[in-house]
Amino acid sequence: MSIILEDVMFTYQPNSPYEYKALKRINLEVNEGDFIGLIGHTGSGKSTLIQQFNGLLKPTSGKISVDGIDITAKGIKLKEIRQKVGMVFQYPEHQLFEETVFEDIAFGPKNMGIVQEGITKRVKKAMAMVSLEYERYKEQSPFVLSGGEKRRVAIAGVLAMEPKYLILDEPTAGLDPRGRDEILAQIERLHRNEGITVVLVSHSMDDVARLAGRLIVINHGEIIYNDTPRKVFMESQTLQNIGLDIPTVGKLMLSLKDKGWPVRTDLLTIEEAKEEILKVVRGPVKNA
Amino acid sequence: MLKDITIGQYVPGESSIHNMDPRTKIISVVLFMVGLFMANSLYGYVLVTLFTIAIILISQIPPLMLIKGIRPLWIILVLTLGLHIFMTEGQIIWQWGFLKITYEGLRQGVFMALRLVYLVTITSLLTLTTTPILLTDGIESVLKALFIPVAHELAMMMTIALRFIPTLIEETEKIMKAQMARGADFESGGLIARAKSLIPLLVPLFLSSFRRADELAMAMEARCYRGGENRTRMKQLKMYGRDYFAFIVMFTFVGISFFFRNGV
Repeated sequence: MSIILEDVMFTYQPNSPYEYKALKRINLEVNEGDFIGLIGHTGSGKSTLIQQFNGLLKPTSGKISVDGIDITAKGIKLKEIRQKVGMVFQYPEHQLFEETVFEDIAFGPKNMGIVQEGITKRVKKAMAMVSLEYERYKEQSPFVLSGGEKRRVAIAGVLAMEPKYLILDEPTAGLDPRGRDEILAQIERLHRNEGITVVLVSHSMDDVARLAGRLIVINHGEIIYNDTPRKVFMESQTLQNIGLDIPTVGKLMLSLKDKGWPVRTDLLTIEEAKEEILKVVRGPVKNA
Repeated sequence: MLKDITIGQYVPGESSIHNMDPRTKIISVVLFMVGLFMANSLYGYVLVTLFTIAIILISQIPPLMLIKGIRPLWIILVLTLGLHIFMTEGQIIWQWGFLKITYEGLRQGVFMALRLVYLVTITSLLTLTTTPILLTDGIESVLKALFIPVAHELAMMMTIALRFIPTLIEETEKIMKAQMARGADFESGGLIARAKSLIPLLVPLFLSSFRRADELAMAMEARCYRGGENRTRMKQLKMYGRDYFAFIVMFTFVGISFFFRNGV
């Protein structure tokens, strides 16, 4: 089962002086079990693209199907699609509105018509997924929490709908390093333990390099790369030309190579870099 | 759907109406209203109609945009038309039970509806052809000329309000989408269900508006904003030949309108 986009185009305010083609012929497949990193410069069409996945925006032309259901067809029940494809927007804490954390997280399941016991179970589970203690937080007002906690409540609000696909638009924007690491670790756990398919929009090359199994690079409304992070980040020149970057580790390896060290440059994590550097540094000693 | 709101929008252009001094445009709108409200005869309305069409053509604003701006008015238009048509006493041309249409009512209803349409058209034309900054500069200097004491503060408040219309619309759409992603439904159900469904939208919207207001106040203070006293401008407003010409046209329009009122 998968989300499939065929020749999807999207134009904002067509036939007006402000007409803007945000997406041009996007062909894309999100398979169950994927962890996809979506990167692109500001205004490249990332946010427009992800809103196609659950029918918040309807493509100007083209076809989108979620698990075989054509969501561009007329009279489709979008509520079911939106349950299946959970979407966490940028700064999701801005959508909180209820008086208690419990009520806010229960908003999604309630809209789906789940009965009371089911809701309690789901809220508990969703809060556990984002490491919020149920008893401690359930009666609190979401507005008195810290930024990181608010964000976790908001993410739990989406998780409580038990989506199969989870789309996150820069979930770590504006958080401190610790909050960021916590959120990312939780997303990784969701993917690994719950088998949720994840699409992660991010500006941090380090994060997507570490987490994503596949990387999609989008520029001016077109997909220019759709491959493993290792392969995509080998194209450092093109990436820099379109306003992106490569992971810090990659940069380090490149500058080591410039200095004459015979190291591999297609590395993504600090562990990999450590081993490679040790190998190269120790290598000549062994041979001597 | 929310993008359809045209009041406060600006369409860039190079027409002579775009290039006019904002003060000229503001005063012209007032003069137009005077002319419009004086019209009470068929000839008067023909004059106003032709004049409005001419201004739209000169401004080079796509008429479709203006029509879009009038569309949200339809309830008021229907109400005005209906009330006048059925409530005015006079020469009966159609009757069914207690409902009757009179010639005077029909005439009055159509005139009133047209008056509303033209009023909205011309005021939206003002904002469509003037950047918000120029518009408030113009308002400020008009208010000052009328010896209104806090002219600058009023104008500043308007600038900010206008400036935040698109931001608020954007924010509303964003929150709507976020709640729709959680299964919220803003479009179906009865009146109470719909009103209730607005809570998840309004609470976050209020919160973010207060947050924005706070941030803006802070940012203005940090740049030493302290109101209008002794404030100078980089861009001074200046009247040109076309502005004086516009005044001549406007006064002629009001004059003819006045003539039709008393004459024909």
